[in-house]
Amino acid sequence: MRKNVWRLGFLVLCFTMLIFQAVNAAESVNLSMMHILTEADKSQGNVIAYRAMMEKFKADYPNVKITEEAIDQDTYGPKIKTLAAGNELPDVFLIKGSWVSSFVSNKLIEPINVDLDRDPAYKKGFLPGAFDDFRIGNNIYGAPFQLLITSLVFYNQDIFEKCGIQSFPATWDEFKSAIPKLKKNGYIPIALGNKGNWVAESCILSTLGDRFTGTDWFAKIRDKKGAKFTEPNFVKALKEMQDLAKAGAFNTDLNSLDNGQQRTLYYNGKAAMFFEGSWAVSSVSTDAPKAIAANTRLAVIPAVKGGKGAAMTASAGTAWAWNVSANLKGEKRKAAIALIKAITGPEYSKICLENNFTPPYTVKNVDKSKLLPLFSQYSNLVTKVKLVPIYDIQLAPSVIEVMNTGLQDLLINATTPMELAKKIQKEYEKTN
Amino acid sequence: MQTHLKKPKSWVLWGLLFPGTLIYAFCVILPLLISFRYSFFDWTGGIFMKFVGVRNYLDLIQDSDFWFSFKNNIFIVIWCLIGQIGIALFISVFLSSRFLKFKKIHQAIVFVPAVLSAVVVGFVWMMIYSNDYGLLNWLLRTLHLTSIIQPWLDDPRLVMYTVTLPLVWQYIGYYVVIFLAALSSIPKDIDEVAELDGALGAKKFFRITLPLIWDSVKVAVILCIAGNMKVFDHIFVMTFGGPGKSSTVMSLYAYKNTFTMLKLGYGSTIAIGIFILSMGLILISRKMMGGSRYE
Repeated sequence: MRKNVWRLGFLVLCFTMLIFQAVNAAESVNLSMMHILTEADKSQGNVIAYRAMMEKFKADYPNVKITEEAIDQDTYGPKIKTLAAGNELPDVFLIKGSWVSSFVSNKLIEPINVDLDRDPAYKKGFLPGAFDDFRIGNNIYGAPFQLLITSLVFYNQDIFEKCGIQSFPATWDEFKSAIPKLKKNGYIPIALGNKGNWVAESCILSTLGDRFTGTDWFAKIRDKKGAKFTEPNFVKALKEMQDLAKAGAFNTDLNSLDNGQQRTLYYNGKAAMFFEGSWAVSSVSTDAPKAIAANTRLAVIPAVKGGKGAAMTASAGTAWAWNVSANLKGEKRKAAIALIKAITGPEYSKICLENNFTPPYTVKNVDKSKLLPLFSQYSNLVTKVKLVPIYDIQLAPSVIEVMNTGLQDLLINATTPMELAKKIQKEYEKTN
Repeated sequence: MQTHLKKPKSWVLWGLLFPGTLIYAFCVILPLLISFRYSFFDWTGGIFMKFVGVRNYLDLIQDSDFWFSFKNNIFIVIWCLIGQIGIALFISVFLSSRFLKFKKIHQAIVFVPAVLSAVVVGFVWMMIYSNDYGLLNWLLRTLHLTSIIQPWLDDPRLVMYTVTLPLVWQYIGYYVVIFLAALSSIPKDIDEVAELDGALGAKKFFRITLPLIWDSVKVAVILCIAGNMKVFDHIFVMTFGGPGKSSTVMSLYAYKNTFTMLKLGYGSTIAIGIFILSMGLILISRKMMGGSRYE
């Protein structure tokens, strides 16, 4: 008899546990997440803001369980593309502008227009053009979290003055005539680390090309409206880059250093300037010796006389954006969208701005007391600059690969500007 | 030779072979077959796949970049055959000589690089080649050879030599082990008789030693070809195929097509191309060595 009581008790216990679990399962939502905001970048404004917002989201939605995987940017690409190929994408992930068309044609992601329209206040906060890298027609494929300028000139004013250059050259011709002056005094005029092969294209050519071709040409290229890479203006831009290399403007090991090492040359006071994006602003402030950091000034590539493009433009964009897997439905999708809104919205953006990082979002009442001097310079510059597209974010990956690899050859005189232009055009015609 | 062991029943043999074969099939043969299937599709990764028949293969045959990277692989294979196997033969004969002291230490030192990961080797040699801080340029500077100081990985005419050198260096020890094992199986009496008859030095090596270990040399040549046709890691680290495409090898070209350019179908076609070319090369090398005068 007593045995039976025990048995009954045990059964009841099991039963209640089952029910409890079932109820629990119905309420809780599991989300997997993959991104590039790694521990290594934890001092960057966007990562600080992201972490803070994640904590807040977890507190606000206790029923949502999130498993995160942070991978550095170089590894992230191959990994997410492999997962995509196997249709095993995480629920929430970052997508790069140049992947959008392939992800869309494979039905891996869906537009988030509906979700944006449901919350007009949130949508209105984004800067004009914030969605440009993620737009196909009227469809928007992702919520961006940063605004990057990829082509800034970081120069050492002290070195410039020592070499008799009182202010940063206002025209491209003046810029070119400054190169020998810097060289004569034993400096590397421009430190370039193009091993990863995107620096020359993303940080120099995207803007220099625009000076020669104008932004309309690029829009025609992007939308396949008859423009060609073999047009004289684009070839001229390539030739200018090669001429810089021929004039010895770069370090001789430009193809075996990476972008971190190009900064090292600058930090050591060996190089007078380097070209990189806005992400380098905080690196220079924290990593460079104090004297170098204090002498660092920012500029954009100078105006080109006779070029079709406007002066004072710089290649910029939002480059990466959050989206959710197309497989998500119902409650899960709702939770995922809420998460994305939390890590891109006004609160996130405010923390970013207070920590030397530019989100693609307007926020008021920002506490500017903690800002680095170089970041304040950058913010000033941004207001004067007109933003133009970044090549590697808006063109097909295969075209970019041909262009980037070709630029390495171009800068060591292994190919001619026209040959390279033809090669890019050939790959471009293959993409549809 | 008469064997005293009873031959196991066939089901025992099959049973013992089964787990290994299963793992091998799952990890090697199955992916190969899947790649073969993908190679007939235009595929950018995802659910959408377009069958294009043999178009990828026709493209591959006309792809000058692919053949350029094939040429680089051949370059590496030839230099590794000379460097790895040649030097390894020399070292192992030296190591098996009676007059050498501290044999174990020598062996260990020669073998150490072979256990390192290729990525580590790539990073180490990157530091050696570095323009400003590199060991090589420092050495040249100390020897007052300033005229040949240069960034060693930046000259397209030189880069294939500079990326091959670490590979040769790394795997010498691997072949030394193979050859030492072969050398130790040469009966001592043959050795001694040869010496008594006056076969010494080079004569002894070419007339006695090499013919007796020729089978191991053949295996080493095949391993060397197979290994170097799929070489990837340390070039990925050191140059990423650059400058331009000058140090791109076939596997790196397949990787770039697949993951950078998002052409997964064409990437698979390249992989199958690598497979076919490697098999072809191995068959040719077997033909060449099979009819040798040593057999």
